Amino acid sequence: MKSYAAYLLRRFGQFVLVMFIGMNVAFVVTHATPIDPVEQSIAAATSFGSTSPEAIAMMRESLRELYGLQGGIWEQYVGFWKRVVVLDFGPSLSAFPTPVSTLIWRALPWTVGLLLVSTAITWVLGNLLGGLAGYLHNNRTLNVTGLLVMGFHPIPYYIVALLLLIVFGYVWPVLPITGGAQMNMARGWNFDFVVSVVKHSVLPVLSLVMVGLGGWFMGMRSLVSNIVSEDYVVYAELGGVAKSRILRSYVMRNALVPQVTGLAMSLGGIFNGAIITEQVFGYPGIGALMIDAVHAGDYSLVLGLTSVSIVAVSAAVLLIDMLYPLLDPRVKLA
Amino acid sequence: MRSILKNALLAAAAALQMFGGAHSQELISNVPRKETLIIENPEGTIKNAGWFNIWAINAGGQSNGLHQLATDTFWYIDPNKGIDGVWDNSLASDKPIYNADFTEMTVKLRKGIFWSDGVEFTSADVLYTVETHMNTKGLRWSAPIQINVASITAPDPYTAVFKLKKPNSRFHALFTVRWNAMWMMPKHIFEKAGDPQKFAFNPPVSLGSYTLNSFDPNGKWFIWQKREDWKRTTLARFGEPGPKYVAYVDAGPPDKRVIAQMNHQLDIIHDTSPEGMFTMAKQAKFSHGWFNTFPYAHPDPTLAAVIFNNQNELLKNRDVRWALALLVDIKAVSMASYRGAASISAIGVPPTGSHPENYHIPMESWLKTFEIDTGKRKIKPYDPGVGKQIAEMLRPSLKDQIPSTPADIAKGFGMGWWKPDPVAAAELLERAGFKKVGAQWMTPDGKPFTIKITVEGEARPVMTRAGSMVAQQWRQFGIDAAITVAQGTLNDRRAAGDFDAIISWSVETWGGHPDLSFFLDSWHSQFVAAPGQPQPPRNWQRWSSPELDKVIEEIRTVGFDDPRGVELGREYVKLAVRDMPSIPLMAYNVFTVMDDTYWTGYPNAVTAPYTDPVPNWGNTKYMMVKLKPKQ
Repeated sequence: MKSYAAYLLRRFGQFVLVMFIGMNVAFVVTHATPIDPVEQSIAAATSFGSTSPEAIAMMRESLRELYGLQGGIWEQYVGFWKRVVVLDFGPSLSAFPTPVSTLIWRALPWTVGLLLVSTAITWVLGNLLGGLAGYLHNNRTLNVTGLLVMGFHPIPYYIVALLLLIVFGYVWPVLPITGGAQMNMARGWNFDFVVSVVKHSVLPVLSLVMVGLGGWFMGMRSLVSNIVSEDYVVYAELGGVAKSRILRSYVMRNALVPQVTGLAMSLGGIFNGAIITEQVFGYPGIGALMIDAVHAGDYSLVLGLTSVSIVAVSAAVLLIDMLYPLLDPRVKLA
Repeated sequence: MRSILKNALLAAAAALQMFGGAHSQELISNVPRKETLIIENPEGTIKNAGWFNIWAINAGGQSNGLHQLATDTFWYIDPNKGIDGVWDNSLASDKPIYNADFTEMTVKLRKGIFWSDGVEFTSADVLYTVETHMNTKGLRWSAPIQINVASITAPDPYTAVFKLKKPNSRFHALFTVRWNAMWMMPKHIFEKAGDPQKFAFNPPVSLGSYTLNSFDPNGKWFIWQKREDWKRTTLARFGEPGPKYVAYVDAGPPDKRVIAQMNHQLDIIHDTSPEGMFTMAKQAKFSHGWFNTFPYAHPDPTLAAVIFNNQNELLKNRDVRWALALLVDIKAVSMASYRGAASISAIGVPPTGSHPENYHIPMESWLKTFEIDTGKRKIKPYDPGVGKQIAEMLRPSLKDQIPSTPADIAKGFGMGWWKPDPVAAAELLERAGFKKVGAQWMTPDGKPFTIKITVEGEARPVMTRAGSMVAQQWRQFGIDAAITVAQGTLNDRRAAGDFDAIISWSVETWGGHPDLSFFLDSWHSQFVAAPGQPQPPRNWQRWSSPELDKVIEEIRTVGFDDPRGVELGREYVKLAVRDMPSIPLMAYNVFTVMDDTYWTGYPNAVTAPYTDPVPNWGNTKYMMVKLKPKQ
């Protein structure tokens, strides 16, 4: 127990260090970008409008003051950490004065919902099929399934998504091709809205599953292929243990350990958003928000989103490190 | 196993069919499709969707219907012919009235115009709008108001008088919509709202014929509804708006826009690729562009050009700039960029709106006689038949899609351009001290002549393709030319002068009105920034010319409608041809595609050029009264 506590303390220290480094990198990268949020705002405000050069100079000065960008980089750095500590990233610069947190919380449920469902389906299906294919390697149906799954894996995601759009949005138009729910529908936990959300998520989820399944399938099949030749599996077979029990308790359980790690990383990565998916399917998540923030040079929003992502991934890794010893007794705590 | 798989697939298909149903009828909840016009919002997703305070800089959406349907101001100038002429007195009942030295502007207001909450619009709103901008830093129009306005008074509820700090014959431009302008604020709402920078103005109180019905908190769509009292708005002079509802939606990437219109889920595509347009023209009989035939696109009153950084040591000499212009084959650029669907221009004015009548046609004879001295001989570089040549080049493959009359060809493809002349280009470069060593041109100080053309990449593929073609043509001549992609950073690089040449536009005009001050005033050398310092819009080429300064200074002293303004505009054109600070290429063509399934009466180039169909323009409010439901 004492060694487990020391192990946890060490892992927690690493968690804090990783977050500190990650946040600093995020700060440096966003401030090193050549995009100036003030110039972006001026360009947006004056595009197609008649504005004199003197007015532009005055506008530039006012915006710097309004956005709090007048101080030096050190002042901004200190301000950034003050905000991180209280989990307030201030107002978005490209949607001023709306707080960054409001924008993130508005988009986050959509991304989390979409990616949680698609990750869960992909993980369960990929591991199940991969495990079966690795153990029952002579089964023709599983081999065909494997070929199909592996066939989709290398196709660029955009192509698969576009294919789905054309097939189910145009040729056989049975599914909506854009947005998170039907336009003008009252939001809430009512049947119609939930059905609409599910309906709008079918194509994005399907595209993610089709492309993502191959990775889990391949990983699990390789792991199982190795495990089936391990001594303890061979002994179990020679000892007449039922095949289903060998598969469930001896093979799958051991093979799942690295897959669970991968799952934790994937779940942490949910907070990065699914940029291409959200762009292609017009899904209202944080991936699209991030792209927009980067293009607008919106430091505050980029830092807010990056921080959420860093915390989520680091926390996922910490969590799995904490659970590892419980899942796999071979893990040494010392 | 096979039968299980087969059954599963069949079940999935059945579920999809039941689940999806005829989803095209279910596009919008609680709003009849037949009464709704669905328009692409080119701003995409509005991340701050619940923000309708358009006076705060860059805080929310603008082209989401807000400035097309809900806001209003004194005057509108149409980029095309206009619904009742180019100029429209909107909230004003007459044109701006200036005193003799342009230090005072009086505005007479229209009576009987009401905000959507039933309060009458009066000069008190004008005063409030202007004074709020005078007293608040950082609002969208604070700076131009604070620079120009000394005071404002309202002698009666329908008159506003502006006293200006200095003479300004174009002050009214601030309140004149070309694409947008300074919109009027509702005094009775904002005076109770506190800090105008932090007030979301949700729901917005409207001066237009529509008011907000609903919007997506995630910014994907906005639905506007015709006001019951639409007769108490400025648009009512032209009749009742057709659509009861107007939805502005984020339609996604170009492929999805095409699919959505093929499914009749998107009545107006703001812009698609040339290829997308050609597909629609071929396959979707209900879809059409500004031109019913090739080149389909609406030529916006902006001029795409190869803009040189005139502060670059190598490009300061106009001989070098002219040499580079003479190496461009515009036919190849037109094919590479727009697949031939481009409206070319040899002069620094876009070939759209009233400009062909005021500039391109009258200047044709001058262009034909214009000469360049290469140092060895004089050449006449203008070829008046290039537009026609492009049309003829396309005719074998597109047949009757290509217009046949010279006037229609000129309208669609433009008139003349510069003849490629590598020999003259070489002579000009040699006169500027450049030398060709082997296959490579060297600068006067013996280094390889290197030039980078900055392009936006995927963000603006048509212009990127144009830049690639120009770079290729320069490279074939022996110049070390290449493109550099500045996706997302173009604004910053352009403002900082961080480029040799850039594909962009520095010329934007009113379109329907010949006055060029919209962009030209900011080209005065008094505003040219030092190298490395941010350049205010729009003289991105950082061109300084004492002769141009004189033209601009005289324009400032003549009235907006004074015919002398056009003469001075032509003087600018001559100077720009002689100096070639940027190589004019073509109008920025926008492939707006309109679907006739639910609505008819869209504007078009031939029979109804009453406004710009490109739906992010404030002027597109006029479209609403022309659109009628398809019977």
